Amino acid sequence: MAENPGHPKEGAGPNRSHMPSIDEVSDAQLVTSIARYSEVALAEAYRRHGGAVYGLAKRVLNNPTDAEDVTQEVFLRLWNQPDRFDPVRGSLRSFLLAQAHGRAVDAVRSSSSRRAREARDAMRTAEADYDMQREVWDMAVADQVSHAMGELPEEERRAIELAYFDGCTYREVAQMLDQPEGTVKSRIRNGMRRMRAVLADAGVRGADA
Amino acid sequence: MMTHDEASDLLGAYALDAVDGDEFTELEAHLDTCPRCRAELDTLHEVAAAMGNSVEPTPEDLWSQIAVRLPERQEDEEPPPMPLLTPEARSPFRAPTERHRRRRRITVSTLAAAAVAAAAVAVVLGIGLVRADNKVSNLQSAQAGPSSAVTAALHAPGHRLITLDASSQKELAQVVVVPSGQGYLVSSKLPSLAGDRTYQLWAVEGNRPISLGLLGASPSHAAFTMAGSTRPSHLSITAEPAGGSVSPTGPIIATGAV
Repeated sequence: MAENPGHPKEGAGPNRSHMPSIDEVSDAQLVTSIARYSEVALAEAYRRHGGAVYGLAKRVLNNPTDAEDVTQEVFLRLWNQPDRFDPVRGSLRSFLLAQAHGRAVDAVRSSSSRRAREARDAMRTAEADYDMQREVWDMAVADQVSHAMGELPEEERRAIELAYFDGCTYREVAQMLDQPEGTVKSRIRNGMRRMRAVLADAGVRGADA
Repeated sequence: MMTHDEASDLLGAYALDAVDGDEFTELEAHLDTCPRCRAELDTLHEVAAAMGNSVEPTPEDLWSQIAVRLPERQEDEEPPPMPLLTPEARSPFRAPTERHRRRRRITVSTLAAAAVAAAAVAVVLGIGLVRADNKVSNLQSAQAGPSSAVTAALHAPGHRLITLDASSQKELAQVVVVPSGQGYLVSSKLPSLAGDRTYQLWAVEGNRPISLGLLGASPSHAAFTMAGSTRPSHLSITAEPAGGSVSPTGPIIATGAV
């Protein structure tokens, strides 16, 4: 197949810089192979999802080196604890992104530059933050997501962005926006539910509650 | 103790990793006991992932940095528990190459490379399986609603239907395998196991059982891949501890000739 240059010839070892193509198997089957120590399967999982993991980590951390560290941790953990992925509860992509996000947020919260970062982020306009549809894995999903976020009331969108992309707790978001904590909590909750509804209406599977 | 409503109010923030301290601890305790909140959280995690799904090109040497950090595998080491084989999870992130594609591209060499790297994985392509169209029709009439993937497999040219019996000749499970090596559990009369046990499916080649994956404690649907250059004589099912076993530890519950 012409579009498959990484396909290993018989007898050739796996080539790490061009991932061997085992792109026929499902994510769940990949993880089963990873559980049996298939490095090729891990490489394929990285090929499919590494860019998304790295992209989210970099966005939250604002630092390529730290984002690389997070990406390494996420895939090493998939190697060592593949059973933590439960295919019934969601896709491998969202599992890995949740792992990456948690690690990135931990790093942000322990960083000494935290205060400066928060101040800078608070000054940022919402519009400047709003470029997620660039370079996405799936333009159709991205369009739906940007549409869904665009539908949100400004204060809900802002609260969600500060929490998700800047790694703030909802209490910190409340401080930064000078709003009551309960209000911010509700805005995040309502905004997320609204997003889910818009995505489900748009036929994005996985968002259908 | 956090009430359900309090927990529910926090799920959005929790899905964004924006809850900390005591609230975090209490919410996790609630999630352990509340399937409703867990289900909502799963969908909120998908929403969060959709927001965070902007792919960046990874630095060129990042994979090799990961690869060199993979722990060396000891020969006698137990692999970590395997995830259950399940129907495809719902997701907006289904890679487009996973279905409806050129099945020929699961080639022996591709999977041989995977098997070599895995050392423990020898995957199997059932070759000499006998078609059993008569059984298919029986099966289809007997089954309320087979999943579309199973139905497609049962209509695929060259598919093989394998019946696994207990020693008493009682039929316990049927499995279909299409020529690409994709296989599905078609039906199961296997009794439910305790929660800390699972059924495990094996391809037996000579005296060597090769795991095809876990079926769970109450098998209903499962998908697996059999491919490679070796030919199993039998498929067998054993009951194993919940994480699965490297080689069978329990007696063979059901077996079927390939």
